[in-house]
Amino acid sequence: MRGSLGTSLVLHFLVLTAALLSLSAPAPFEVTPEESVSVDIVQSITQTQKGEEKAPKNEKPSPKPTKNQKVVENAENSGENDVDLKSPPTPAKKPVQTETAAAPPKAEPVPTPTPETNKVKDIVKEETAPKPEEVAALPIPKPEMVPTPKPEPQPEPKPQEQKTEDAPVPDAIPLPASRPKPEPPKEEAKPVEKPVEKPPEKKPETKPAEKTPDNKKVADKKQETAKSQAVKESEFNADQISAMLNKQEAAGGGAKRSTETASLGAKKTLGTGLSASEVDAVKGQIQGNWSLVAGLTGVEQVRVKIKVQLDKSGNIIGTPEVTATGGPDATRRAVESSTRRALLKSAPLKNLPVDKYDGEKGWNTLVLNFDPTEFAL
Amino acid sequence: MEHADLAAAATSVSLLSLFMQAGLIVKLVMIGLIGASVWTWAIVIDKYINFGKARRQFDQFEQVFWSGQSLEELYRTLAERQNTGLAAIFVAAMREWKKSFERGARSPIGLQMRIDRAMDVTMAREGEAFEARLGSLATIGSAGPFIGLFGTVVGIMTSFQAIAGSKSTNLAVVAPGIAEALLATAIGLVAAIPAVIAYNKFTADAGKLSARMEGFADEFSAILSRQIDEKLQPRQAAQ
Repeated sequence: MRGSLGTSLVLHFLVLTAALLSLSAPAPFEVTPEESVSVDIVQSITQTQKGEEKAPKNEKPSPKPTKNQKVVENAENSGENDVDLKSPPTPAKKPVQTETAAAPPKAEPVPTPTPETNKVKDIVKEETAPKPEEVAALPIPKPEMVPTPKPEPQPEPKPQEQKTEDAPVPDAIPLPASRPKPEPPKEEAKPVEKPVEKPPEKKPETKPAEKTPDNKKVADKKQETAKSQAVKESEFNADQISAMLNKQEAAGGGAKRSTETASLGAKKTLGTGLSASEVDAVKGQIQGNWSLVAGLTGVEQVRVKIKVQLDKSGNIIGTPEVTATGGPDATRRAVESSTRRALLKSAPLKNLPVDKYDGEKGWNTLVLNFDPTEFAL
Repeated sequence: MEHADLAAAATSVSLLSLFMQAGLIVKLVMIGLIGASVWTWAIVIDKYINFGKARRQFDQFEQVFWSGQSLEELYRTLAERQNTGLAAIFVAAMREWKKSFERGARSPIGLQMRIDRAMDVTMAREGEAFEARLGSLATIGSAGPFIGLFGTVVGIMTSFQAIAGSKSTNLAVVAPGIAEALLATAIGLVAAIPAVIAYNKFTADAGKLSARMEGFADEFSAILSRQIDEKLQPRQAAQ
């Protein structure tokens, strides 16, 4: 034993000295100095409230106040328009100028039709007027293209027509001036009617230029159809057109109004749930349609949970999930089915704020808890 | 070597400097663990040599025993020596046999019992010798890591106290203390791992050797009982 103890000691001594000599301090880490990189903190925001991005912070986020206070239902985007456009309101001076340049032709022709009666000839003149409005943007390039080839072959017809027939028309708009050219020999009605028929198709711009100079036969046919249509068009009401016109400013933003001073907030309201009063309003709608079978026992122990998917107008998508818990089996089933009936009856749900539709807490999926005793008794 | 010394002096994280920096308790733990390691290896070397020797002796004796040599002669050659293992069992049994016959034992059953007992006693003594000190191997194997851990915990504790005192959490302040403390666990594991392996190996070897002794004892007891019957029957017949 002594011998082995001695050998063990010697071995340990050898190993330790070897370790001390060979296992020296580990090489220190070489740390190269690195340039510090500035980091911006990006938050993913799941809950925001509509407001003004650059306005000072205030208690309640709110977008800029709008001058137009006419309330539009279900409007989401703040702005001065009557139609809820998604484009944000931008204070643009240049676009306004271009619009005013285009506007004068509109303004002049429109007043003329309204006072006039429904005589055929008068209407013909009117129709020339609305055209430019609708196609206003497009016709302008045309005259540049068309005039160059046409003036040479038909220099004479122009003056005849203009002088004899369309004397009032030319001064109003540049467009009619180019179109009459191709159809010089024909009657007064033609030039006017064709454009009227075609604008909805949007083809007249290209077709008349190609066809008119060459095909007289086609032109004749058109004459006949034009006459018959002229009678029909006498029923045409110019007011309807003006009603159909889009008077919204493209840069005017949406139709949501604001009366409060602008304060800090996000572009959109996101992820804020319905307020208690809004939930109560919805509950009230369902309650109104509720009828529970009388004589059920243990109704007070039942709790109903509704999970329903809604579209933006409050209609129910798919089948609503109605689950009742507690109470006796039969009662639970009765309460469940009566809740489902009440819910389906009260669709579409009204008075839900559109701007709270989207997001995790929005009412795209509406979850409501009912205590049947609140209203069934 | 020179480079190593310089590095050790500069950063003072070499093994020796770590040991020298350590507190008294940690130092004691480390020294104790190194001592345990020395003891472990001493036992390992001792057992390895002894077991090898024992196995060789067993083989030798069995060869001689089964060679057909007369048992009396074998006993005469072995009786004067210091015997271990199978030879010791053989000698013990033969001695009992001789004593009984020289005095003229009457009962064959009593003789058989006495011989068996003598062999059992010798076997137990021999087995004890095989298993001696294996217990301390087991203790070092199981307790070594804990002792090392104790040293580590104490070391880390003191290094944290030092951090609290210096009021700096700079890694350069924290690291040496922790490294020094971890050295204790490392030494504990270095001592414990060989101890556990050796303990398992040597208990198995000791088991094998004692099984071999038992086998020999049973066989020899059978031979002796046959001898007793053969020698006692003529006597009984004569009476």
